[in-house]
This record gives sequence, structure tokens and C-alpha cells, in this order.
Amino acid sequence: MSWIDFSGHAYLAAFVLYCFAFMFYVISIAGQRWSNRDSKRHTERWGRIAFFTSSVGLAGHLTFFFTRWYGSGQIPTSNMYEFMSFLAMAIMIAFTIIYLIYRKPILGMFATPLAVIIVAYASVFPKDVQPLIPSLNSYWLKIHVTTAALGEAFFAVGFAAGLMYLLRVVDYSRKDAKARKEQRWVEFTLYVIVVVIGFISIVFSFRGAGYEAHFTQENVMVDEQGQTITRVEQVQYDLPPIFKPYNSQVVSVDSFLGMNKPWFETPSWMNGINAGRKLNTVIWSIIAGSLLYGLLRLVFRKPLGAVIHPHMDGVKPSDLDEISYRAIAIGFPVFTLGALIFAMIWANEAWGRFWGWDPKEVWALITWLFYSVYLHFRLSRGWQGIRSAWLAVIGFVIVWFTLIGVNLIIAGLHSYAGV
Amino acid sequence: MFQNTKCECGHQNPPDTLLCESCGKPLVESDEPLEMRYDGVARRSQKRNPNPLDRVWSFFSSVRIAVIIIIITLIGAALGTIYPQGNNAAYYKETYGWSGELYHKLGLSSMYDSWWFVCLLVMIGTSLVICSLDRVLPLYRALSKQQIRKHLQFITRQKTSYVGTIEGDAEQWVQSFGNHLKRRRYKVHIDGTALLAEKNRFSRWGPYINHIGLIILLLALLARTIPHWTEENTIAVRDGETVQVTGTDYYVKNDKFTVEYYNEAELPDMLKQQERPKLYETKAILYECVSSCGEPGIEPELKEVKQYDITVNHPMSYKGVKLYQIGYDDEPLLQSVRPIIEDVKTGQQYGPFDLPMKNPKTSFEVGPYSLELKANYMEFALNEEGSPVTKSRDPKAPAFIFIVKGPGLDENGEPYMYFPLEKDKERFSQDKINQAIASKIQIRVDGMDNVKFSSYTSYLLIRVDRALPFVWVGLGICMLGLLMGAYWHHRRIWLRIDEGTLSLGAHTNKNHFGMRSETAWALEQMGITVESDKLDNGGYNS
Repeated sequence: MSWIDFSGHAYLAAFVLYCFAFMFYVISIAGQRWSNRDSKRHTERWGRIAFFTSSVGLAGHLTFFFTRWYGSGQIPTSNMYEFMSFLAMAIMIAFTIIYLIYRKPILGMFATPLAVIIVAYASVFPKDVQPLIPSLNSYWLKIHVTTAALGEAFFAVGFAAGLMYLLRVVDYSRKDAKARKEQRWVEFTLYVIVVVIGFISIVFSFRGAGYEAHFTQENVMVDEQGQTITRVEQVQYDLPPIFKPYNSQVVSVDSFLGMNKPWFETPSWMNGINAGRKLNTVIWSIIAGSLLYGLLRLVFRKPLGAVIHPHMDGVKPSDLDEISYRAIAIGFPVFTLGALIFAMIWANEAWGRFWGWDPKEVWALITWLFYSVYLHFRLSRGWQGIRSAWLAVIGFVIVWFTLIGVNLIIAGLHSYAGV
Repeated sequence: MFQNTKCECGHQNPPDTLLCESCGKPLVESDEPLEMRYDGVARRSQKRNPNPLDRVWSFFSSVRIAVIIIIITLIGAALGTIYPQGNNAAYYKETYGWSGELYHKLGLSSMYDSWWFVCLLVMIGTSLVICSLDRVLPLYRALSKQQIRKHLQFITRQKTSYVGTIEGDAEQWVQSFGNHLKRRRYKVHIDGTALLAEKNRFSRWGPYINHIGLIILLLALLARTIPHWTEENTIAVRDGETVQVTGTDYYVKNDKFTVEYYNEAELPDMLKQQERPKLYETKAILYECVSSCGEPGIEPELKEVKQYDITVNHPMSYKGVKLYQIGYDDEPLLQSVRPIIEDVKTGQQYGPFDLPMKNPKTSFEVGPYSLELKANYMEFALNEEGSPVTKSRDPKAPAFIFIVKGPGLDENGEPYMYFPLEKDKERFSQDKINQAIASKIQIRVDGMDNVKFSSYTSYLLIRVDRALPFVWVGLGICMLGLLMGAYWHHRRIWLRIDEGTLSLGAHTNKNHFGMRSETAWALEQMGITVESDKLDNGGYNS
């Protein structure tokens, strides 16, 4: 067995352990109300078991990271699969640090599922080791990517605590306009998380079934000398084509529930053959996520927020507020160092300029500006509690856009880390 | 409006003071935990009857305004990423249709150089300076002259507070409590039965140091607009060639350019049959020109100063000039030829002579013939009027015009047009151009041994950026301030004992959780057990 195969097994082990840790954290919180037990001792006991499990999971994840590094000879942070799995690991590291400070098992109930989702999300991308192209071949790859991801991981923990705060304080018994607005937005946040889970499940379902569809697109271009060049590009869909690429020919489409040809064509302004594939994936994710969400609503017969809210009863809101703020305050300098300063030093080495307004750079700056706004509001304007929690949630959306959205929609120099 | 600003302790406070500067008595009635920001001191921006300068000052000293400017900058920066920056109007219209056209018309296509974006950055800089000064000076004054014995309300209205009774000698109790706090690295000040313990005050300066770093960074960015502070040029250096580094007295030689690709075994299945580059490298030698620099027609005298293998991520750096590997071209270009001259009638051959494409000699003596170079073209073409021009400086279609003198030729010499490449010779019909002289002599290359091609052209980016050291210093200071402010917490504990009643209050600028557990720990040492959560006075004010 090669080192890389071994690392794959360690990754799977980490994933399973995180799932169990999540279950144990839920037991430690939700089980408080089970009959004939002392709730405080119950939480402590199961909290310890859960933390032990998540720590073993993290150990497995670290094993994955270092054995893959050893096996491939390059730090595994250079493509989407490797980066996402690293991010999940960084989130678990950040969670472990924050947990050791505050020792609140409730935090695990939100941080571990986040890690589980990202670990699964990483597996959507091709797992092959891709040898480094010259511009990536630098020790700054190790330094810049790891510190930036660690900073983002702390923001993720801040997001988890912020979302918990919202679920704790949003009052589901109130029916006035303000309360309803808050309930709707919390519900929407949960819905988005369900859509991400929907995306992962749908990709794995069709991949498991070996589904494939192929298209070609003919592109006519006029070069500098005025000659016309025709390029034929190919694309493979892993999901049934609701949208086929703009102006493309069907090569082959596997049949799915009688659907054996594409229904719509991607609009022309979405450039390139991959735009169609991406749009198709987004549509499928929303369909699958909405179905999953509908199913959950049918089972519980009330909003998901209202399902979770009662379980948060014993938690002090000010603790959650503090944890969320603390995670962000710890992450901010790390993010500044990794995503801006180290990035600038590397950009200066590799491209000869420390700043070039590349979309990824701009979005890292936007993330930084946003969190500096968060800190100013909090420290100088006294924005605490619910407003601060919403900022932590929005901030994480921006982090996510910087990581995924920029590659998916805008691209630029960082496109080799592409989706 | 007249306001009595004298505290009951006898201290005269400036208007708008929230907490007496001396005893800390809250000057605004309320039962909520105290607003402790900037220790409740009045700031310049809160001046009454402001003059215009004061108005500007208070505008920029507002954190609310600063945040609004940051948010506008943030939105502007985000808009700039919708479409690629810096192309012309036609590009946006063709590529993105009406939305691209609109994008260009709104000026979003050169967002980051636009006057208003730069203006926003300048405003952020101004705000950084004024916000910091407005707060750091009063805060510094407040923290450097603190009273030990505080007003009772000041103590009990802290976010962390405790009131209880103690037995025994009060002064001794305070002494012993102080000793426990010293073990936690507090600086302890005692005034009879009152105590002030403080640690990590320096962390309060973190944000201001961070702002100083950012100001230096912004100034460095402004300095880059000074002429000659930044230079950027691209040069193309062919294998074996030496060229001047644009804008300097340096010359660089490309001794050898190599490009390596990953082989099949190194690539995973999905990337097989792809050319995946592994390494681009220019073995470069840097020379400094000692004399006859830039004088036309004279070879400059060069002195070697540095040898370096330039690869992506490893630029050559010498005295503030940096050379980056940014690309290459593998189109073979003619480097030099060694043609001969043939007397067409006798078949007699003379030569060969050296004819490099770059900087050829201006006269040649070959056998009985003498040649004078009248003109040369690197990429020969005929313009609309039919006169010869060169399309570029790369020898893609070189052509030379010689005035040839010698046996059987006109005394004053006859012009001869020479195309070293066979394809050009055909394409431009060399023999027709030369007419009569073509039947007398032929200049041609005899065999491929006499033709030298360079296989690669290495593109190097030349950069001079004098602002760079300031950028790094600014970022370093910024980072230092962030670390100071984020990872250390300023903590203070006040207490006083009045007739057996202990009143304790503690304040921190962040991490109240830690403050409470440390206070609980200290009380525990004195035999008072209290759960740290019970110390929380409620409220969010910090």
C-alpha cells in the first residue's frame, strides 16, 4: 500500500470519527433532559467523550495530511481537494483551541458538522496528486496557504458560535414583524447549509451510479492575422443535463428517469463550455437541497430553527457572543498574516508585484475589511449580541465566496486552484 | 449651555467626561454596567462650539464615518472584480454585451486607479490618523495617572464585580490579596484599604500601533506615484544574447534558457498527454556598464556583477533592481549567418563572413569585395506606399541592404538586398529586387552549418520599486500592533474595603470570561469561593 493510499484511509477514518463526535456532542447537549440523570454531570461526561472522539478524528486528519505530504513529496494544499480537506482540518484545530479555552461542548455540536460537511465537500473534487506548476513551486505555498486557511478556520468557528447565538436568542414564540424577520433569515441560513449537503449528496449519488453525459462546443475565433480558428472543446457532465452548454452538440447522455436529452441551453452570456456544467450543478444542488429541506420540514412539522432552538435553553447567550467574538479576534491577525502579508510577499516573489488587484486578492482584502468593520463596530460602537452574530454569519459567507465563488465565477490568476 | 463639571472629589473634569478622571465616579446617572471605553474621558472631537477645523476633525474622528468609508471601499472593490480590469471599450462590448458596455461606461473597468477610489483610500488614511490621535492621547493621559481609591459606584458598576464581607484586618487582607495577584503578573498598587492591580496595559496600544503601520503602508502606496520610484519593463533575451536592462546601466546575458516538462510517469491519469511545465530557468549573468554606455555604434564596456539562475519564484535581485522570469517563447529565431559571396561568372567563392542579426558591423572586406551596410530590417515588410519597413525588432524576416564594391561592379558601389532566410528570399523575390547585380554576384549561405538559430527567447520582467521597503515596514508594524492588541488583554482590578465590606470591580477590554475566572481564582486564594459566572454583572458594555 502506498503512502497516498494510506492517507486516503486515514481521511476516511477522520470523517467517520467526526461524524461520531458530532453525535456525541448532540447527546451531551440534547441528552440533558433525559430522565433520571443529573444534567450537569451528563453534559460533562458526554462532552469529554465527544471531545476525545473529535480529537482522535483530528489526529487521523493530521495523519492523512502528513502521509500524503510524505507520499507525494509536496504539501497537500495545491488543488481544491487538498485545500478543502486542509480547511476542514484547520477548522478542527481552531475548534480544539477554542474548546480548550471555554470547554463548552455546545460549540462541538456546531463546529464538527461544519468540518464533516467540508470534508465531504472536498471529496467531490478529483483526488489525484497534481505535480506543481512552476509558479506554485515555492516554500510560500506552505506558509501562505496554511496560515490563510487557519485564519479562515477561526472565522468559521466564529460563524458557528454566531449561528448558535442566533438560534439561542431568536424567539420562536413571538409573532411580530421583527421576530418573524429574524426567524426567516435564520431559517434561510439553515436552508443554505442544507443545499450544500444536497449538493454533496447528489454528486455522490450520480457518481456512485456512474452517470455521464458528454458535449462538444465549437468555438470560432479570429486571430491577429485575420485567420479564423475553430476550436472544438469537450465537457463531461456528472449530473443529468438540465442545462447543456451554450451552442453545443450532444455526444452522449446517459438516461436518467427517462431524461435522455438536455432540457435547456445555457444562455450565451455565460462564457465557456464549463459555465454550462457549473450552472447545471448549481441547479441540481438547489433541487436536491430543497427536496431535502422539504423532507426535514415534513418530518418535524416546524421550521428547522424552531427544532434546534429548545435544545439551546441552558446555554448563556453572552458566552456564545463572547466565543464568537473571541474566535474572530484570534483569527483576524492570523488571516492578516496569511491571506494578506504572506500573500503579498509571495506575489512579489512570483509575479514581481505585491498587489495586482487580482480578483482573489481583492476578495481577500474585502474579507479583511469586513472583519475589521466587525471589530470596529464591536469595540467602538458597542455592537454586541445579535448584530455582532449576524456580522459573523455574513463574514463567513464572504470567506466562502473568496474561497469558492471567485474560482467558480470570476477566476483570474488563482484559477489553477480551480473548481 | 453651562455644565457643572466639578466632581464631588474636587476634580475639575472637561465637559462631556463620562467618568470622573480622578475618582472614577460616573457622571451620568444609570444602573447599567459602566461604559468604560477610553476610560470615560472626553475627546477633542466632542468639543462644543466647534470651528470649521473642529468640524473636519470630528467628522474624521468618528468611527461610524470610518466604517462607512470602509464599507464603500469594500463595495467598490467588489464591483471591480465583476469583469476583468483595464481593457478597452470594444473588448467589454464584444465579450459581455450591454452589461460590459455599461460596466466600461461607469468607469468600473479601471476601478482601482480611478480618482474616487484613490480618494477613498486617502480618506481612510486621514480617518486612521485622526481617529487614533483623538483617542490615544486622552486614553494615554487617563491610564498614566490613575487613582487607586475609586468611587464605590465605579467599582460596583464594572461588568465583573463582587461585594462581600471580610473578617479581620482590612489592610493585611489587601496586602495578601495583592501578593496573590502579583503571582499572576499583575502590577499592584495599594493605598491603605484600597487596591489597584493592572496588567498588560501595552495591549491597549495595539490598535494604534496597527493604525500607524497602515498609515505607513498607505503613504508608501502614495509614494509609488513619485516618478522613478517604480519602474516596470519587460525585456526579451534570446539564448546566448546580452541586452541592456531597460532604464538602467545594467546588461543581462541569457547564458542558457531551459524549460522542463513533467514526464508521463510523474503525472496522474487525468493530466497525462498534457504538457505540464515543471521548470523555466534562465541562467543569467548581470553586467554593469563601466564606460561607453548607450553610445551608438560603440561596444559598451561591461563588468560582471552577478550570476544567478532566474526561475519563477526566484528572481535575481541586485541593488534594488529585480529580474523576474515571466515567460518564454520557443519560436526559433535567426541569430547569425555566415554567408559567402560568389562571383556568378567564374563560380569563385569568397568568405564566409560573420553577419549577426543584432548589432552587425557596418563594413565588411570579403576577398576582393567591400560591403557597406546601408540598412537592415528585422521583420521586413513593405508599407502601403511600397517602401520597406520593419514590423518588429525580432529577426523573424531579416533583410540587409549592402552597397557592394569590387571587380565588375560600379565604382561607387551597387546596392544589394540580402534575405538570409530562404523563404523570405522567395517571398520578396530577392533576385528581382537586385536586378542587374544579381547576375554578377550572389550572397548566400553555404550549408546549414553556417546558420545559427536561437531556440528560446526568455522574457524577463524588470522591476524597480523604491517604496517596497516602506511597504514591508508598514505591514510589519501593522502586524505587531494586531498581535499586541489581539493576544494580550488589559486587565484591571480595583477593590476597597469599607468597614468590613469588600467591594471589588474588574475591567478588561476583551475576554470578560478570562477576567471573571482570574478574579474568581484570586478570591479563592483568600478563601472566598464564588463561581466565576456569578461575578458577571450582566450587560454587554465593555
